[in-house]
Amino acid sequence: MSRVIRPGFLTLLGLIWLAPVYLLVANASKPAELYDPARVWAPLPDFALVDNMRDAWQKAQLGDSIPSSLLYSTIAPLTAVVLGAAIGFAIVALRLRHGFLWFVFTFGSTIFPLQMILMPLFIGYANTGLYDTRTGMYLVYTAISVPFAAFLMRNFFTGVSYSVFEAAVIDGASTWRIFWRIYLPLAKSALSAIFILQATFIWNDLLLGLTLSQSDDVRPIMPALTSLQSTYGGSALPTVLAGGLLVSLPTVALFLATQRLFARGLTLGQS
Amino acid sequence: MSGSLGTATTVRPPGSDSDLGERSAAQQRTKTPYEWPARAFSLPAVLLVALLLYLPFVWTTYISFTDYNGLGSPVWVGLSNYRDMVSDSVFLTAVGNTLLWVVGSITLPVALGLLIAVLTYGRRFGTLIRLPFLIPYAVSGVAVGVIWGFVLQTQGALGQVLEFLNLPGASTRWLLEGPLNTFIMIGAASWQIVGVNALLFVIGLQSIPREPVEAARLDGATGWTMFRCIVWPQMRALTTVVIGLSIVASLKTFDIVWIMTQGGPGRVSETLALTMYRETFVLSDYGQGAAIAVFLSVVTFAASIIYLRRQLSGRATS
Amino acid sequence: MKMRHSVAAVAAASAMLLAACGGSSDDTAGGSVDSLKFYNDKAAWKPQFEEVSKVSQDEIGLALEPVGYSEANQYAAFIRSSFRTKEKPDLFTWHTGKELEDLVRQGLVAETTSLWDKAIADGDVPEDLREYFTVDGKQYCVPLQAGYWVMFYNKRIFDQEGITPPSTWAQLEAIAERLKGAGVTPFHQTNVLFTFSWFQTLLTGSDPELYEALSTGEAKYTDPGVVSVMDKWRAMLDKGYFSDPGSKTDPQVMLKNGDVAMINMGTWFNGNLKSVGMEIDKDYGMFVIPNVDPSLATRPMVVEAGPVCTAADATHREEAERYSAWWFTPPAQTAWANARGELSFNPRAEVSDETLASLSDEINKGDYRLMNRYFEAAPVPVLTAALDGFGAFVTKPGDPMPVLKEVQAAADAYWAEQG
Repeated sequence: MSRVIRPGFLTLLGLIWLAPVYLLVANASKPAELYDPARVWAPLPDFALVDNMRDAWQKAQLGDSIPSSLLYSTIAPLTAVVLGAAIGFAIVALRLRHGFLWFVFTFGSTIFPLQMILMPLFIGYANTGLYDTRTGMYLVYTAISVPFAAFLMRNFFTGVSYSVFEAAVIDGASTWRIFWRIYLPLAKSALSAIFILQATFIWNDLLLGLTLSQSDDVRPIMPALTSLQSTYGGSALPTVLAGGLLVSLPTVALFLATQRLFARGLTLGQS
Repeated sequence: MSGSLGTATTVRPPGSDSDLGERSAAQQRTKTPYEWPARAFSLPAVLLVALLLYLPFVWTTYISFTDYNGLGSPVWVGLSNYRDMVSDSVFLTAVGNTLLWVVGSITLPVALGLLIAVLTYGRRFGTLIRLPFLIPYAVSGVAVGVIWGFVLQTQGALGQVLEFLNLPGASTRWLLEGPLNTFIMIGAASWQIVGVNALLFVIGLQSIPREPVEAARLDGATGWTMFRCIVWPQMRALTTVVIGLSIVASLKTFDIVWIMTQGGPGRVSETLALTMYRETFVLSDYGQGAAIAVFLSVVTFAASIIYLRRQLSGRATS
Repeated sequence: MKMRHSVAAVAAASAMLLAACGGSSDDTAGGSVDSLKFYNDKAAWKPQFEEVSKVSQDEIGLALEPVGYSEANQYAAFIRSSFRTKEKPDLFTWHTGKELEDLVRQGLVAETTSLWDKAIADGDVPEDLREYFTVDGKQYCVPLQAGYWVMFYNKRIFDQEGITPPSTWAQLEAIAERLKGAGVTPFHQTNVLFTFSWFQTLLTGSDPELYEALSTGEAKYTDPGVVSVMDKWRAMLDKGYFSDPGSKTDPQVMLKNGDVAMINMGTWFNGNLKSVGMEIDKDYGMFVIPNVDPSLATRPMVVEAGPVCTAADATHREEAERYSAWWFTPPAQTAWANARGELSFNPRAEVSDETLASLSDEINKGDYRLMNRYFEAAPVPVLTAALDGFGAFVTKPGDPMPVLKEVQAAADAYWAEQG
């Protein structure tokens, strides 16, 4: 019986989950002047998605900020993954003294409401010359991604048998080698999950980008995108949606491309 | 939770996490030969969060004891911002709504995420079936806000569907009545996060060693028994991550409420993070906003420590 | 002037060489420049700012580099903080009223009294606007734009129903009743941000003195005059004259689709309508909202004047002032108004659109009493309480007294603090 229930349930749930995505695509494809809020479900024969995307691209001048955003959302999460894995490794495998406290310290930094550290960060950045530089953006994005990486990696490494570490030590491997060659490869799927989640987070960040940068070649993409949405003369809704969809393409592609990593695994209990 | 752990002990391989928990607790008192490498491995992460996240928050904490409008110099006022915070009539509403968010976020999205992970794990097309749940996380905030706006507005997309299906509630004012609007926004937030939870659970499932599963299968364990006795206890580490993150994130709930209702109408859907934002950015009362931020952080810290201690280091007592 | 200009150009060139790495480091040099960073909370207007920038480059050798923010609150916090750093803004948009006073009292904004004197003498700006830019008898900042609050209407609906724009309040009510009967929602109403628009319309049209007294703390929100305005508003709400206040559909789309027949809004709304493909005179029109009380001697006209300011310690203060002075002049205002497709505060600006030009003429003829928009007129804590209160009121119309008491409580607290 569960042979019917399981796929049926997942299909239904999946359809519910895709409904807003459908609305997004359907309405982003409507010509701006034909959009009607009373008929959001009905698709229109006129397919204007590409035109709307082009319109959004030009109005918000998205092109300027894409290189910076790409840079931040690849290098910063990569660094964070490694740093997070390193501290997780230090706590679990190397048994750093007061490891739990250091773990709490690192993870504890996620509890601060982001909105409240913006202004002191801005003042600090402005006074140290980090304001409106790519280095500054890279550092803050890395810092903000580290706690999650540390949390996940610490917990992941607790699942790795300690005998793995001991065996490597007996083989005479250095701690660096054990970390780089044994622990990191073991955690491939966890590392990729952190990477794609944090890359997406950074790509979609608005507040830090808005506060800590101003030049077209430093500012990430979201501040540019939100200019489409404004009380004082924003763009038509299909244009806003097309813009939103357009900048979501890289992250969706990232999720698609990395899914193979999560496909591995044994079947648990046939029902 | 600890009961099911006991039943699983027999099939747990040596070196699994609870075993390690006991050992590291015992060893924490003595210096290991790897103390210096351990410090070197930890330093960059610690330094980065100390400088870029703790330091600004220290400033915020200082501001919470002052009267400051963002211009000129802060004037020391002691605890008066904290007193004002507690005596504000909306404070209790905000605390209540925030609690709703916490409860909502550690039930619906976590349960659904777990369910999706377990039902798709190791299946053919498993990743394909999970994809619809992950896409919402990848979609940019601007588009998400607009979409939910027209789904949830009165007689919006949701109302149109209900009307089409002849179901009741077609003209419900989803976002205009409290606490309905909070519940419905929790639903919208779940839409975005369920896939991420499922993904993290899948990683947990992947890290389960093969042997106990095979052994249990030979013993004839299937379905629910297999899940309860073998799978679930082994996934504790990742469950901790998912719930821990949900607690922290839900206490800070801001974006979706700000986009959908701005805390209204008449402040009924305000969360603590919104109150904080309102005081700081709308009213330019930085001291008051900082006091709420400190309160919020202390609560979040306490909640996550209580939870994490139980889950991570209190293991030996179970 | 010519001489100084070329010196400035040389200095600008050398400053640019020094600052080849871009970013923020160029501001520390303090030399002269040929372009100014222009911080603003109107990110959507970047293309129009850039159009004006081309004109200013030709006219005074200074270009604008717009740095846009789309969230007004974030923007304000950024500007406030920037005064603590070396990134003091050369040109930035701000708000009149208490927000401006805050900056002036701290000595953070450059004075512009002489610019105003000259502009008024030249007939480049109506004298009435000056008071909004005045703190303690001196002027600060210059107006970015002046938006007049009028009624926009869907022309197709009006034509279908054989309706022409009203000249009295009674006519307006008759129109609303008629539209209602024809199944069209007459007016737009929202419960976020612009919740005040009908309060403002009804109060200025009934008792402009009371409206002004409220904003200075001399009158109370619980006064009978305010209560009766709220009762009137409630009666209109109960009659079903307004659209769903929780609607997430943009007002321009609602007007276009005929979901509402009329919207009271600032003249910048022309730009929004243009973005959804509506043409002035063909698809929509504008009319001046008639007074609620026909016995009023004057016709109040609500205006929103957003200022552009310069930090007192701005790195390029001299250039910024030159830019501000130019901003008043007809070439600047002609370029600006036409780029935006709206009115200018400068009566000498040549607005190319005829309807806009004639509305502009009408307002400038002088038989209007300009009144500050509620958003700027009310002090921020009072405004915030009022916006929330009105939002709840239009969502669930009921006894207005609890709402008014809450707003008055905020007002009492505010005015007590002002001493």
